[in-house]
Amino acid sequence: MHNQTDFTVIIKQNEGLIYKVVKVYTNSKEDEQDLYQEIVYQLWKCFSTFRGESKVGTWMYRVALNTAIAFLNKQKRKGSQVPIDELLLNRTEPADTLMAERSEALFAQIKRLSEIEKGIILLYLEGKTYDEIAAITGFTATNVGTRLGRIKQKIKEQIN
Amino acid sequence: MELEEMKAQWQQMSAGMEKQKSLTDTLIIKMTQLNYRDKLNKILIPETIGALVCFAAILFILTGLQSLNTPYLLVCGIVSAVILFVMPVLSLKAVYNIRSVNIISSTYSQSLARYAKAKLQFVFVKKLSFCLGALLMLAILPVMGKLISHVDLFKNTNLWYWYVIMFPFFYWFATWVFKYYNKTVAGAEDILKELAD
Repeated sequence: MHNQTDFTVIIKQNEGLIYKVVKVYTNSKEDEQDLYQEIVYQLWKCFSTFRGESKVGTWMYRVALNTAIAFLNKQKRKGSQVPIDELLLNRTEPADTLMAERSEALFAQIKRLSEIEKGIILLYLEGKTYDEIAAITGFTATNVGTRLGRIKQKIKEQIN
Repeated sequence: MELEEMKAQWQQMSAGMEKQKSLTDTLIIKMTQLNYRDKLNKILIPETIGALVCFAAILFILTGLQSLNTPYLLVCGIVSAVILFVMPVLSLKAVYNIRSVNIISSTYSQSLARYAKAKLQFVFVKKLSFCLGALLMLAILPVMGKLISHVDLFKNTNLWYWYVIMFPFFYWFATWVFKYYNKTVAGAEDILKELAD
C-alpha cells in the first residue's frame, strides 16, 4: 500500500496526531506551519519503507517525534512552503473559547517539560500503553512508568 | 492540573479535533512535493562556497610556495594551507553528523541522544574553528603580502607589534563568543544526563 491515495487517507485519518505533536514542539504559528509540513513530508518520504510490521500510529508517532526533534536541532532553513489554511492550525479555537483556552493552557504546561518528558507525556495522554510508549521511545516499559511518575511530580510542583 | 485530569481534557480536545478535519487531498499532495532541494541548498550552498574558497586559497598558496623564501614565511604558508583544509572538513563533518540521524529507524531516545552528542561536537568544532580562524588570520597575512605584493610584511612593517596588541582583544572576544555556546552545551549535556537516569 505505497501509493499517494493510501498515504492521503492515512494522513487524513491521523491529522490530529500530527497537529498535537506540532503544538507540543513549537512556540509560534510560523514554526507550526513549518513543522507540520516537514512531518507530512518526512512521512511521505519514508512511506515506501513502511511495511505494516508495526501499527500505523506507532510508525507515525516515531517519525513525527523524530522529525520534531530534528526540527528543533537543525539550523533553521526554509524551503518553499505550501500556504496552510489558518483553519488547519487553529483547531483548538472553535466557537467554544473556554475549551480553546483550556487546550492552550494544557499545551503550555506540557511545553514546560524537558524534551524527553514531552514525548512521553504526549504518548501517555494519547492513551498509549506503557509497552506502546516503550516501542516508540526506546525506553523500557518500567522506565516509562518511572519517568511518568517523575512527570506527575513535576507537574504538581509546577502548579504549586 | 493532575495527570489524570490532563488526560481527560486531552481526550476532550482530541474528540473536538476529530470533528474539525480540514486537510484535503490536494493540500497533502502539495506538502509531499515540498521543494526540498531549496532546503538542502540553503545549508549546502554556503558550506560548499566556503569550502571552494578555502581550496582555491590552498591552491594559490601551494603554487606560490617557492616565493616564500624565508623559513618563517614558509611555515606561515604551510600552517595557512593546513588550516584552510581542516576548517571546511570539520565544519562539513559536524553538519553531516547533525543531518545524519535516521528518523525512520531511530527511536525517540536514540534520536535525542544522537542530536545531543552531535550538538556537543558541533559546538566543539565551532570553538575550534574560531581559534583556527584567528590563527589563520595571523598566518595568512604575511603569506598573501608576499604572494600578491612581493613584500615581506615582517621586515617592512610592524606586523609583530600588531599581533601583540591584538592578542588581548582576541582573547576577550573569544571568551565572549564561547560564553554564547555555554547554554547550548549545558542543554545537550542535560539531555544526555536525563537519558541515562
